[in-house]
Amino acid sequence: MDLTDKEQVERCRNGHPEDFGLLVDRYQKPLFSYLAWRVGNFSQAEEAAQESFVRAFLSLKKLRKPESFFSWLLGIAGRVAREQFRFELHRRQEHEAAETMMMSAAGQNEDYPLEEAIAVLPENQRQVILLRYYEGLSCQEVATRLGLPLGTVTKTLSRAYILLRQELKARGCAEQTVNETKQT
Amino acid sequence: MNCAECRDNFVACAEGLLERGEELQCRAHLEACADCRAEYELSLRLEKRLLARGQAAAGVAIVETVMRRVRQEQFKPERETIMSKIMKHRWGFGLGAAAGTAAILLIILLASPKAQAKAAEVMTKGAQAVAKLTSIHLRGQLRTYPQDNFSSINSDCEFCTIELWKQFVPELKWRAEKPGRVAVMDGQSTVLYFKDANSGAKFPHPSPSAFDTEWLHQIAYLSNTISNELHNAQAKGWKLDTSEETAADARVKSIVTIHAKSGIAENDYLKNSFFDNTDTRRVYRFDAQTKLLEAVQFYLVRPSGETLIFDLNQIDYNQPIDPKVWQLDLPADVSWEQEPQKLPDNEKYASMTAEQAARAFFEACSREDWNEAAKFMSPINEQLKQYLGGLEIVSIGESFASKSYGGRFVPYEIKLRPQEFNARVSKTNSAKRYVLTGFYDDKLRLKQDFKWSTEPEVLTNNDAYARLSPTEAAQAYFDAQSKLDWVEMRKFTSDWDVEETKKQVEMAEKQGIDVHKIMPVMEAGEATWSPEQSAWFVKCRAFQTKKWNLAVRKDNPTHRWQVDGGI
Repeated sequence: MDLTDKEQVERCRNGHPEDFGLLVDRYQKPLFSYLAWRVGNFSQAEEAAQESFVRAFLSLKKLRKPESFFSWLLGIAGRVAREQFRFELHRRQEHEAAETMMMSAAGQNEDYPLEEAIAVLPENQRQVILLRYYEGLSCQEVATRLGLPLGTVTKTLSRAYILLRQELKARGCAEQTVNETKQT
Repeated sequence: MNCAECRDNFVACAEGLLERGEELQCRAHLEACADCRAEYELSLRLEKRLLARGQAAAGVAIVETVMRRVRQEQFKPERETIMSKIMKHRWGFGLGAAAGTAAILLIILLASPKAQAKAAEVMTKGAQAVAKLTSIHLRGQLRTYPQDNFSSINSDCEFCTIELWKQFVPELKWRAEKPGRVAVMDGQSTVLYFKDANSGAKFPHPSPSAFDTEWLHQIAYLSNTISNELHNAQAKGWKLDTSEETAADARVKSIVTIHAKSGIAENDYLKNSFFDNTDTRRVYRFDAQTKLLEAVQFYLVRPSGETLIFDLNQIDYNQPIDPKVWQLDLPADVSWEQEPQKLPDNEKYASMTAEQAARAFFEACSREDWNEAAKFMSPINEQLKQYLGGLEIVSIGESFASKSYGGRFVPYEIKLRPQEFNARVSKTNSAKRYVLTGFYDDKLRLKQDFKWSTEPEVLTNNDAYARLSPTEAAQAYFDAQSKLDWVEMRKFTSDWDVEETKKQVEMAEKQGIDVHKIMPVMEAGEATWSPEQSAWFVKCRAFQTKKWNLAVRKDNPTHRWQVDGGI
């Protein structure tokens, strides 16, 4: 069984800074995906992801709820993305181009901040979602990796979907059924 | 199949992982229930989104890059973030090493009460004064046990020396040392060595600070100290004072005092045992002219009063450091701490409670099954084997936690295997009675000399004592010691031995320990004459019971409880 985020963060704080690499490994893909959605550019997303992790590491002692590491990391990433945008704006001196850049990213993106919703899932559901979709494992592989019965993994995923949908709906960005679309 | 069961099966159904019968039931329910059918469709769409997001990130592999940057960033005097790059560009000048501290000052001046602003100003100027720091050497005194953790404090202890040497350029190196332990980062690896136990721990990479030396590095790295102290002052409401005083040489000193609160309750087990769980008054003294930090004092603050626990009175800036400082000449047989590895039957151990793990560890020690004991602790060296081998468990209590510790504490009581040693007994003195001159091991190697400085006093009833045999004299000494009868004890031993024993007893009593309960039961046995030493050697045995709290933690990849202290 992998260490929880809380245990991992506490370990980094307690003399094992190299173990931060395990948290990077766990969240590099969802963080990149989130930033790619926000900035609309893969190379910038990767640069921002690196900067976000470095800042997170340097501020790790200030993290009050280690179990919410991913939510906290996304908050840092959001600030990095904004700074990156302002930096680009300044560098290019081309406001319109920069505006266009941002518009083409989040503003007109038909997708939504899935990772923000994933971040608030219970740890066991988040872990299964990350392994299944960001690490590309099959349900059976996830079950083997976590030492869980296959049925537990599929049920956990099914329940995670429902919670994700509720969370996204609360944020006003959930997928809607045909009926829901008609009502709104 | 009802709605809840059907929804639990969405993923298994979509991926064809249900048994035939269950799948038919699930599909039948979906046919019949419009709500579940709609939810199922949405789940499938959500899954597609998730798959797309995952595939977009499939090639991302930034762990190595991030960790390389993490190490580099830690080594830099100032972090260069995207924001600082923007600042540099916008204002067109290099802000240099003091940029961060200047920014902090600005924020504090704008947003803080006057005292904080003044404190920030003094400390920031102190950081600017050492902006081009190439090396630093700190030497001070700390109330702690010489062999204990670098951040461990004990207000009842005598002061012991603590030092930090730190080189910033051309590459970061450091060494922290107190009498019982030393840690060295030579630019390649980071090593901790326990001098008495001949054991240690090492990282194969350079660490900017490690092994609980962080607080000392903070002082050496003043801009960080400023940042942390002022952040805490604002975020936690710590009080800050500034004042000035004129020293004997007429130089004016600027003093910043910070009243730090740990947030740890008075009844917490670890309260006041480490810097981070202690309320402290921290006094930083700067020379008002050079702006340099010249001294630091930390006072432990308790409801009963204050005690000076750390006194840093020597700070050398930019002095050449002897390259030998970065070298550790270690014996070949050092026992190195090993990270716990997953075992074939790891789950059996990972599922243990803290109490079960403590019992299993002590039982392994009792059987002297060191392979089994090593599953709970590393390293287990010869010294530890000798100490714990053959022990007998008296009791294992219910574990408890401390707010400032990531593991648990398991109360235990054990009977240690009797320790055998020899007492050297001699009557070549003017009182002509047997007195002890030292303790020796089983091979008659001196372990503790009693440092006689004067002849034993001739007693009024000296004859009665002069009639005692070597064994009887040794037993009388032990009996007097166990009763804490210093007058009687002094009839058989040196003033030095009595005073040392008294000191240890007083220290234990200050810590609330019932000394009578921890005193070993001593037994004096057969005496043998040594012609070479012209003295008798009395075989002695010490039967000791140990009652303490075993610190265990399981935040490691194997998820097994590991003994972390309290032996």
